[in-house]
Amino acid sequence: MKDPATQVSRRGLMKNLIATDRPKRYAMVIDTRRCIGCQACTVACKSENDVPLGESRSWVETIEKGNFPDVGRSFLPRLCNQCEKPGCVSVCPTGATYTRKEDGVVAINKEICIGCKYCILACPYGVRYLDPKTGSVDKCDFCLHRIEKGVVPACVNTCQGAARIFGDINDPSSAAAKMLETNSVSVLRHEMGTEPMVFYIGADHSDERYAERTGVYVRVETHRRQQKRV
Amino acid sequence: MLNRRKFIKLSAATAAASVAMNGTLSQARELPVFGGKDFSPTTGKERKAVPSACLNCVTRCPNIVYVEDGRIVKIEGQPKSIRSEGKMCAKGQGGVNQSNDPDRILYPMKRVGKRGEGKWKRVSWDDALDEVAGRLKTLRDAGTPEKFMFHYGRMKSSTSKLVKTNFLGAYGTKTIGNHTSICEGGKWTAQELTWGKHYDTWDFDNTRYVLNFGANPLEAGTNHIPTSHRLIRALTTREVKMVTIDVRLSNTAAKSQEWLPVRPGGDLAVALAMCNVVMSEDLHKGRGEEFLKFCKVTDTAEDTLENKVKALKDNFAQYTPEWATQHSDVSASAIRRIAREFATTYPACLISYRGAVAHYNGNDTERAIQTLAAITGNIDNPGGRCLAVGPKWKYPKAKGMPKGRKLKIVDGPKGAAAIPSHHMSHNVLKMIKDGSAGRPDIYMSYMYTAVYANGDVQENIDVLKDESLIPFSVNINPFYDESAALADLILPEPPYTERWDWDDMVSPVQIPEYYIRQPAIPPMGETRDFGTVACQLAERIGIELPFKTKEEFVRMSCAKTPAVKAVGGFEYMKKHGVYHDPKAKPKYHSYRKELKAKDYEKATVILDEATGTYWDWKKAKHKSAEAAQKKGYTHSKGAYKAYVGQRIGDKVYKGFKPDKLNKSGYFEIYSGLMKEKGYNPLPTWYSIPEHEKMSDNDMILTTFKVATQIHSRSQNCKYLTELYHDNPAWINPVDAQRRGIMEGDEIKVKSEVGEITIKARVTPAVIPGVIAISHHCGHWQYGRYASGNKAPMAHDDDPDLKRMWWKGNHGAHPNWIIPNAPDPINGQLRFMDTVVQVIKI
Repeated sequence: MKDPATQVSRRGLMKNLIATDRPKRYAMVIDTRRCIGCQACTVACKSENDVPLGESRSWVETIEKGNFPDVGRSFLPRLCNQCEKPGCVSVCPTGATYTRKEDGVVAINKEICIGCKYCILACPYGVRYLDPKTGSVDKCDFCLHRIEKGVVPACVNTCQGAARIFGDINDPSSAAAKMLETNSVSVLRHEMGTEPMVFYIGADHSDERYAERTGVYVRVETHRRQQKRV
Repeated sequence: MLNRRKFIKLSAATAAASVAMNGTLSQARELPVFGGKDFSPTTGKERKAVPSACLNCVTRCPNIVYVEDGRIVKIEGQPKSIRSEGKMCAKGQGGVNQSNDPDRILYPMKRVGKRGEGKWKRVSWDDALDEVAGRLKTLRDAGTPEKFMFHYGRMKSSTSKLVKTNFLGAYGTKTIGNHTSICEGGKWTAQELTWGKHYDTWDFDNTRYVLNFGANPLEAGTNHIPTSHRLIRALTTREVKMVTIDVRLSNTAAKSQEWLPVRPGGDLAVALAMCNVVMSEDLHKGRGEEFLKFCKVTDTAEDTLENKVKALKDNFAQYTPEWATQHSDVSASAIRRIAREFATTYPACLISYRGAVAHYNGNDTERAIQTLAAITGNIDNPGGRCLAVGPKWKYPKAKGMPKGRKLKIVDGPKGAAAIPSHHMSHNVLKMIKDGSAGRPDIYMSYMYTAVYANGDVQENIDVLKDESLIPFSVNINPFYDESAALADLILPEPPYTERWDWDDMVSPVQIPEYYIRQPAIPPMGETRDFGTVACQLAERIGIELPFKTKEEFVRMSCAKTPAVKAVGGFEYMKKHGVYHDPKAKPKYHSYRKELKAKDYEKATVILDEATGTYWDWKKAKHKSAEAAQKKGYTHSKGAYKAYVGQRIGDKVYKGFKPDKLNKSGYFEIYSGLMKEKGYNPLPTWYSIPEHEKMSDNDMILTTFKVATQIHSRSQNCKYLTELYHDNPAWINPVDAQRRGIMEGDEIKVKSEVGEITIKARVTPAVIPGVIAISHHCGHWQYGRYASGNKAPMAHDDDPDLKRMWWKGNHGAHPNWIIPNAPDPINGQLRFMDTVVQVIKI
């Protein structure tokens, strides 16, 4: 069941992006029909970035829904949304969290992060954590250390369903831009006005509230320490 | 070429497909590198990339292991692999934790307290090897090499050829236990009975329909990644329909267009009824009919098509969809509809695994499934269910092997299984306890935890602990598992990321792929590859092997294997990791190959009139053609090894070559071997005796695997266990309500052999009457990440140990309550049909 509120206006989206003066705008389009919840991306990210136990930059949620025997299960891969209007950037007192001019990726300068955690509170998606190893806040940055060397993010590399399409959506010939052009997409928590740059095709956004509304069984699992979906 | 307007007009699905189909290419246009390279996120330096192979599960995908500052930090798929196409599952990626597990065993250890007390001292390799070799030599010199039992779990390819074929062969023991009967042995035997070989592959790249009986290829399975990523591609890019018949909604069922919940063991009824629909509605006509030429359907070696069709119609007439509903809870209309869809969509791929097979009636379930594929013409065809194709490695062999002696303890008690062609490993300890077939003096287990992996855990512990039953127990292991804890001596093996191997798993594209495993870093501590240790034991005993280390064995194999040698042998494989012949064509319909007269008109080749089989009497170790004729092909021990071809009409075909069993070269829907054992030769319904006697309050326990854990050997991988460490039992709301059970409640699950306490997961994703508990959890050893318990001499240098947030929450293991009961035909452990009582605590 798609929540219409989360559907993104394609025309508005493209207009907005074209209006920016960045050379590139990296984004990810996730075709959930191709996601099988295998968690390969979760583990790839964990090891690629040496993410401490208890924290996650990338994870896959499971939505089990329906009444026997008409029950289904779908999957929702999660990561930093690399928002156009990121709440985390504006609250950062030192400028450690910033949007990269060249490609729109929301990055963290760990040298100047003071670990005040304002950004963790400001993020409506729960993607940020304080790394005990560095004392700095950290999160998904589309594997900047790979993409800057021309290698796709670790989660994209490992996705066996090819559900994750990563690329520069300012380039209309990119696969990601074409996906946006030709599909109905949704984003997470559209109402927050953060303008996420992670788009979903065919995502099921139901949660426990849906269950309360309809009386249909819904179970959402995050498979992370933070068991409640943010 | 598409213009823009046309492109936009395409449906969403097709557009998504076009991108994903060329996923690698499209990505490459934007970011030039899809895989094969990795960089440090902290220093930006390129990580060392070592082409190697996974062994976290039996699929053994080629991989690339990345090393930074001497540590294994990341594992990815091998982009050059035709099997995995560069993909790697969570379990394979989690292999990165094997090397860095702080609970790894790094030194040989000898017990100092009582057996199982957990007190150990570090010993030198020299002392350890002297002790083992001394004991082995004593047994061998006394003419009782069979009193050395070797019991293995994850041992494949070059390790198997070095250790089993060479070392154990030269030593002279055949008391060798495997683990196949707790794995997929039942499916293998049933396939050997029908088409000869044990493996099947599923051609998802070319199929138009997938019908699934109890397989879960999107989460687990024998050839997981090579098949699963192709299955998703088929389901999405080509919009292939898939229907899954399973007791629970696996992720595979969830991704299917239809899930048909089935009662445990009811799979057989559904498969038989689908055969009924195909035959009674004449849907076999056309391709099914053509294939029947290669099938044995009656007791006559060469029967007419008319007779074959009649025999099938007669056999399946009683199994109507309405009849099947009573035994399966699947509606007759669904059975009819799916059977028609399957039979009229060509090619269609029929897949099956443990969910269908690990039952009392599993053998005929698999035979009925094979039959359904056969009568619709979907055997060994593009898009169908195919005979597996793998590489053929050549390897060095020791000279002058003795005949070998064996204790008869690997096939269970006499008569427990009629045709246990993959043995009954779950009864080995029971047989040792019984003692009537003798007992080993030395029990050596390799990458195998007999305690945890088999049913009836308490009995396993009791036997392994008892020094009067097992005087000396050696365990070879990278980790301190439940069986290592009960050993007298532990020889530490490095995990697979630090070992040599050549490897040979089957290919989903019907083209063989050669690949190797090489150490990404040197073995840590004093760990030694057991292949090398076997060479060192041999030397001490005075056995001559033509190699001294596993590495040398792999190097020599590369030089001996023509395909590998031609491209540069060992050096090429070290550099590239994988090789396949780019000109090779996929292998289909191999049974249709006609033999040339010179192949079957040899002096030593004779025709067995009873079966139409040409066989080589000399190879079958007969003294003369007459002696061979007299005994006959079927009753000559090991005659399958002497198979040449199958006569059909006036031609001789390669046919379906037998392996392990003396079946003919036909696809045997009718099994003479089954008949000789007193069973109906055609696929037949058997109800599960314990289920017939169930009371209203009883439930049936079924087991399953998830995408993020391997059966028993991955729970030390912190990244996997963080995702899956607790395994609440799935119970339908109807059953839960009846028992007053709410989500998260503690419940007791009791069977005739024991009881466990576990949490309840109340979910409509399981059929009423069934309680489903995954394997993987409930370890009480295997290190801190798996069980909370520290291994002896373990390290504390992993800062994540402090962050292990699931401590004390390690789930429950169903094997405590599953008896070691076999399928009476093939000996497979019945993991899916134990009767239990479920009580709220």
